[in-house]
Formats: sequence, structure tokens, C-alpha cells
Amino acid sequence: MKPGMMKAYVHVIKLTFIFTLKQSMTDAFILFGIFVQPLLIAIMALFILGDQGDGLVIFIVVGSGLTGLWDSVLFQSGNSITRERWTGTLEALVGMPTPLAVIVFGKNLAFVTQSLSSMIVAYAFASIIFGYPLSIEAPTLFIISVVMTVLSLVCLGLVLATLFVLNPDVQRWQNGLEFPVFILAGFLFPIAILPQWTTPLSYILAPYWAAVALHMSSGGKPDILEISVPWAMMALLGVLYLFLAFWLFRKMLFKARVDATLSGQ
Amino acid sequence: MNTIEVKELRRIYKTNIGVIRRKVKEIVAVDGITFDVNRGELFGLLGPNGAGKTTMIKMLTTLLIPTGGTAKILGYDVVDQANEIRSRIGFIFGGERGLYWRLSGIDNLRYFASLYHVDPEVTMKRIPQLLELVGLSDRGEEKVEGYSRGMKQRLHIARTLLHDPEILFLDEPTMGLDPVGGREIRQVIRDLQSEKKTILLTTHYMFEADALCERVAVIDQGRIVALDTPEALKQVVSDLSVIEIEVFGVPEEILNQIRNLPFVDTVSVEDLDQKQALHVHSAKGSEAIPPLLSALEGVRVGKVTVREPTLEDAYVRLVGGKV
Repeated sequence: MKPGMMKAYVHVIKLTFIFTLKQSMTDAFILFGIFVQPLLIAIMALFILGDQGDGLVIFIVVGSGLTGLWDSVLFQSGNSITRERWTGTLEALVGMPTPLAVIVFGKNLAFVTQSLSSMIVAYAFASIIFGYPLSIEAPTLFIISVVMTVLSLVCLGLVLATLFVLNPDVQRWQNGLEFPVFILAGFLFPIAILPQWTTPLSYILAPYWAAVALHMSSGGKPDILEISVPWAMMALLGVLYLFLAFWLFRKMLFKARVDATLSGQ
Repeated sequence: MNTIEVKELRRIYKTNIGVIRRKVKEIVAVDGITFDVNRGELFGLLGPNGAGKTTMIKMLTTLLIPTGGTAKILGYDVVDQANEIRSRIGFIFGGERGLYWRLSGIDNLRYFASLYHVDPEVTMKRIPQLLELVGLSDRGEEKVEGYSRGMKQRLHIARTLLHDPEILFLDEPTMGLDPVGGREIRQVIRDLQSEKKTILLTTHYMFEADALCERVAVIDQGRIVALDTPEALKQVVSDLSVIEIEVFGVPEEILNQIRNLPFVDTVSVEDLDQKQALHVHSAKGSEAIPPLLSALEGVRVGKVTVREPTLEDAYVRLVGGKV
């Protein structure tokens, strides 16, 4: 990398973040995924489980927020390259000196950060409408967990974005990936109640470790060693996703230049 | 070293046909093209739709990998040294796509400048200058979705100049614009030409190539059929006159009869709403009018004129009347 490039890339990520948010604030599909769907899940879960104690309510709030987060990774980050192709901007982006991966990183960061608001909405809803006294038990650990969650999910979004371009057949299963991850990642109930053979699948998913860290720090006061495990797993998986994404981007861009599929026309 | 060096460049597209017995069909879009562009030159690629112009420009801007041959921009190979090229060139493809419609013109420019690694301070100075250049100073803060086609095209030009590139690739920059919009874009291109930018322009408007380009390569079916200055290309038809006949619905068989007349070189048909204009190239000049009108018996005929050939006529002759 040439000297000064890192500074230029950080500037690109910053502007991509700002302008992506500016554009998505008026997109009804995005707003539904972030605000309405997690709210519906929260209402359902609160009616079913809400009488089992305040501790479970914060579990539901965090869990339903995580569903919004995963929807954002799956549908927003996953389609971030495909969407550029539809709007005709992909050719312009590829033909510029900034690597496409840096641009998509900025976009995914905006999508995942924006989707955190679904957690805030669920929290406000449970607190104001249902009147539950809610508090985060370990706020500092919770904030660190949120940051780790965002970064690891952004990296996972890079992998999904390239996979959905490289193999449109995978994209056809996009909707089918939504609820299995809700279940495998233990957003709304512990994975201990699932068959044992599903556990390894949960372990390779950053959303599972995100749920562990967020549930742990919101519902109790874990010691630092205890919560370091999901943090370390998110960091490890994030780096692995990043390497995989780097390889997939090279493969995808070369294939698109050979197959003439950058313009989407 | 020439700014752009193209040698025997080829591009084949593969497409699947059939449902049960799928076959791969190959389409040759660019078939062994060779040309050079000098520093500061405005070079035109002229050809009918589907001639291979856009494919050519996409290969030169590193967005498509050639099937064969080589292309170098400022000495850098378009396949192996794409990153070196990308920071030194600017490109626009015709049409309205390629901008963020929900952002303002200024936001679009700010964003694309960052992707070209233009210093933010320089960007803030350059954006008003570029908006002035393309005549969008008073509309820069509006969202692009409210822009007309011509305004979007002008914003594309501003976008491509953000990093002050040495070479510009302009693919059909006036496509679909009204006459006023087209004239404005051509004025911008002339201004860039005066700044000694190297420009490669594709167009299927002959008058545009004639008015702007120093040299023109006429492309047909992926091959160069002529390469010279507009003036020299016009010599191709210096022995001919053009008879323009206004007709109202001319059957194909009558057109074929006219094409087969011994004194007719080429015939092209231009659709003009309710009527058509036949452009007949012939060495006989006005003497060809009576036999042509005889051939058109039964067809409602309007105005008939004879004029000197233009670059458009040279082009029609070179591509065999396929316009």
C-alpha cells in the first residue's frame, strides 16, 4: 500500500458511511426491516414470555434488536454490490482507484450501524408501552460488545455481498437464510434447546457470539474473562471473514470483467 | 510513446442459447482493432449501434478484459496494470445511470472525489469550478433525481474531471439529449480540448465527430473500416452527390429496386415521424432524380433536394448504408 493510502481509505469509508445513511433513510424497505419487523417480533415475544420476569424482557429486547441487525446484514450488506449494479454505479466504482472492498466496507458499516436503532426501538417500546423497568447490567461491557458485533457483522456482510454476486443461486436462498440464523444464533432463546448437531453451525456464525456477548452484558454482570470468549470469537471470525472476502472480491471482480457483468444491462 | 496504443484488440462475448440443449454462442464485438491516440488529441470512434464502440471503450477503461490483443494507456497495460491506469483516466458512459439519484449533485461530486483520492480541501475548491464549467452552479444542491437527462450528463462530465485526469473516455456523451443539451455538452468538450486533454470520444452522430474530432476511426462489425481526419474521410464520397427525397411510407421492395439501380451507390432511410427521408448517393447528381421518381411511382413524394456529401455520407458509404 502506498503511503497516505490508509488516510484516503478512512476518508472514503467516512463519506461512504455518511452518504449511504443519507440515502437509506428514505428507503421504505430498509425502514421496515429496521423498525417494524423487530418491533413485531418484540411484541410477540413480550406477550409470550413477558410475564416470566424483567430479566427475560431485556433478553427479548436485545434479541429482537439482533433480528433487525441480522436482517440488515443479510439484505442490506448482502445486496450492497448487486444494488450498485442495478443503479449503474458499479462500473464507475470499479473503474476508480479505491478498491471496491473499501467502498463496500463503508456501506456495510452504515447499514449495520443504522440497524442498531432497531434495538433502541425495541428497548423504548418495551419500556414505554409495556412499562418494563429496563436497565443494562454492565453498560461498558455492553458497548464494547456492540462495537465488536458491528465490526464482525460488517466483515460477514462483505462475504455475503461477494457470494451473492458470484453465485446468484445463493441469492435465491437469501430469504431462507433469515430465520435459520435467528434460531442458530440464539437471538430469542438459548441454543442449548436445539439438537446438539447444530451447535458447530452456531459457533462459526459471528451473530451467535454477538448474541452471547450482548445477552451476557445486558442481562448480568459477567467477569471480563467470561465475556472475552465471545469477543475473541467475534474478532477471530471477523478476521477470517475478512480474508475470505478479500479472496472473493478478487475472484468476483476478475470474473465480472471477463463475463462483462459489471453494468447489469 | 502514444497516450493510447491499441494492437489487434479482440473481444468475444459468450452467451447461452436454448433451454434443454444449451449451447454457447460466441459474438465477436471487437475484431482485431489497431489504432493509436496522440497526447492532447481528440480522437473519435464512429459507428452504428452494435459496432463495438462501447466494448472498445470499456476495455480501455479496464472494465472489460480483452479476449486477445493488447491495449496500453500511458504505457500501462489495461489488464495487468489496471490500478495504475484508473487514477489517470476519467470516463463517462452515455445515459442517466451511474449517479446517486437520492444525493445532491454536490454530494455526488464530493463522494466520487474521495474515491479518486482527491484531497478534501482541493475537492471543496474544485467542485464549484466544475459546476460552473458544466453550467450547474445554481442546481448543485438539488437532488439528482430532479435533474433532466442533459443535467445528469453534465454532472457525469464534472464527475469525470474531479481528479484532473490526463485522458478522458467519453462514450456517447450526447446520446438522447435534445439539441440544446447536445450543443452544451459539445461546448464543454471543446473547452476540455483547449486544455489539451487527450479525449477518446465515441458517437454515432456524424456531425459531432466532424465538429469535434481531429481524427476519426469508423467502426463496423467490430472492425475499423476507415481511419483518418474528417476532411480526408469526406473524400471517400467526393465523387458522389446526395439526393434527398421526402417520402410518406415507402415499401421495402421499392427500396430494394432503388438500391439495384445501376447509378445508385448506397441508400439510407431516416425516419422522421410521419415521413421518411431517403438519402441516395449517386455520381449522377440531379440527373438521377427522374429515374428515382419513376422507381417511386405510387409512393407519395414530398421535397426533393440535391446536396454535396458530408462526413455522414462518407460514413454511410463505409458502413454500407447501415444506419
